[in-house]
Amino acid sequence: MNISVIQAIILGLFASLSSMPGLGGTSIGNYTLGRPLVGGLICGIVLGDIPTGILVGCAMQVVYIALVTPGGTVSADVRAVSYIGIPLAMLALKSYGLAADSAEGIALATSFGTMVGTIGTVLFYGTATMNLIWQHMGWKWVDNREYHKLYLVDMVLPWISHITFSLIPTVVMCLLGEPVVNLIKTSLPMDGIPMKTLFTVGALLPCVGIAILLKQIVRSVIDFVPYLFGFTLAASMGLNLVSATVVAAMFAIVIYNLKMLQLKKAAPAAANASNNNWDDDEEDI
Amino acid sequence: MAEKKISKKTLSKAFHNWYYGNLTCFSQEHMQTFGYLCSMLPIVDELYDDEDKKAEAMDTYRAFFNTEPQLGAIIVGVTAGLEEARANGNKEVDSETINGLRAGLMGPIAGIGDSLVVGTVIPILLGIAMGMSGGGSPMGAIFYMLVWNLFAYFGMKFIYNKGYQMGTKAVEFLVGDIGMAIREAVTTLGGIVIGAVSATWVSVKTSFHLVNASGEAYMVLQEKLDGVFPGVLTAIVVIFCWWLMAKKQFSPIKVMLLLVVIAFAGVVLGFFNPGLSY
Repeated sequence: MNISVIQAIILGLFASLSSMPGLGGTSIGNYTLGRPLVGGLICGIVLGDIPTGILVGCAMQVVYIALVTPGGTVSADVRAVSYIGIPLAMLALKSYGLAADSAEGIALATSFGTMVGTIGTVLFYGTATMNLIWQHMGWKWVDNREYHKLYLVDMVLPWISHITFSLIPTVVMCLLGEPVVNLIKTSLPMDGIPMKTLFTVGALLPCVGIAILLKQIVRSVIDFVPYLFGFTLAASMGLNLVSATVVAAMFAIVIYNLKMLQLKKAAPAAANASNNNWDDDEEDI
Repeated sequence: MAEKKISKKTLSKAFHNWYYGNLTCFSQEHMQTFGYLCSMLPIVDELYDDEDKKAEAMDTYRAFFNTEPQLGAIIVGVTAGLEEARANGNKEVDSETINGLRAGLMGPIAGIGDSLVVGTVIPILLGIAMGMSGGGSPMGAIFYMLVWNLFAYFGMKFIYNKGYQMGTKAVEFLVGDIGMAIREAVTTLGGIVIGAVSATWVSVKTSFHLVNASGEAYMVLQEKLDGVFPGVLTAIVVIFCWWLMAKKQFSPIKVMLLLVVIAFAGVVLGFFNPGLSY
């Protein structure tokens, strides 16, 4: 399996659309195309092996399940994870002859993707820094009251940043992928300590992704109980993720009703009927 | 003088400018400022004919802005309403009040948005989607793309319009009691789903075992541990990473590097062995 120039350019375009200051916008770009699960589907379609793409995407998605970027600080770059890491991991799997749904396959994909994603933060800061040029031009236009050129600054000129820091690096990395994978394969034997470490790291890394998420929701030790409850549902009781979500939703309804009862008791007058529309909307989650 | 009103078409254009462009020209220095300017531009264009007044209005939005962009649509909606009030000669609304409000709201909305939208809703959807991806099926990814985008688009549009119609009352709802009850319920839901995701997709296993004289393994640590609580080793490593980040202020990169060290030591000592072969 190798990646042709055209395939690499398509992946480069998706890399430009996703990422944090991506050109697909925040909801479609960063939070849809940038997610490794969706990236896995797209890489699978482009490279002609959807199941492998999806499985590699899933493996990396766990590591980046809670990629929150408070104040614009990033610990990984989604364009690098999804459109450089996934194709390279797919190449590596094929080259090593590992199945994407085996424990070793998942571990290899995870450590590959995470390595690329971490190095990829360079691309994030590169794009953001280059955007300063367009913003500088933007302030001048605002000073001159040429307001309509703001569209140019916000939606057109950043393409130049992305061609430089998303498209070209993706194309280069994807094309270099095969020789590099082969080099690693010949220089590091599978039963040696470096490869064993790499695979072990791959199995450990998703814990960091889950822990980042827990940091958001755990404030006291008691908050670990829902987490361990969900863990038990899957690990001990064998529920799949969709069933576990249904059980979780049931508990969420109970908690919501309990809270509302408390509120009604505390301030009967404050229960504002006009707010009910809001509740319905949020419950769809 | 007739009361000025932002037309539906303009309001929709302003929303879409925000929906698409909130972060497209991101820099560490100005973050969402240019997205904000682009969103207010159609509104300012429509409300003011006088070039000086237009400039005064646009200058208001030159101030730094950054929040969680999706939930933050509510703030942009509120300022659309305020700008309309200012154009109608409401003396209480000036650049200072608008910017005071923006600066005051962007922090709390970022906090709620990061933990509720990015930290809970998206992981829940991804968790379900991964559950549907067994055997490499594309169903999960398609499910996520559809559900998330419908939720994000219509959700943002809804809160933007609410912000415009109700002003700061809309925000009070989000940070108020009912908002809190919803957040608590959704957070619990998220916690449970994340537990299930980690038990399903993360697997930390030890290869440590003791062998008796005849070469039979009489103590396989992984089996003993699973006898106590299936998957306990995975849960321990997750909680250890949480402890490092939450209590010891480790950055995620540092935790990852520490895991590399632990993996190396574990492999050398025979605690971890991924069982590789050609």
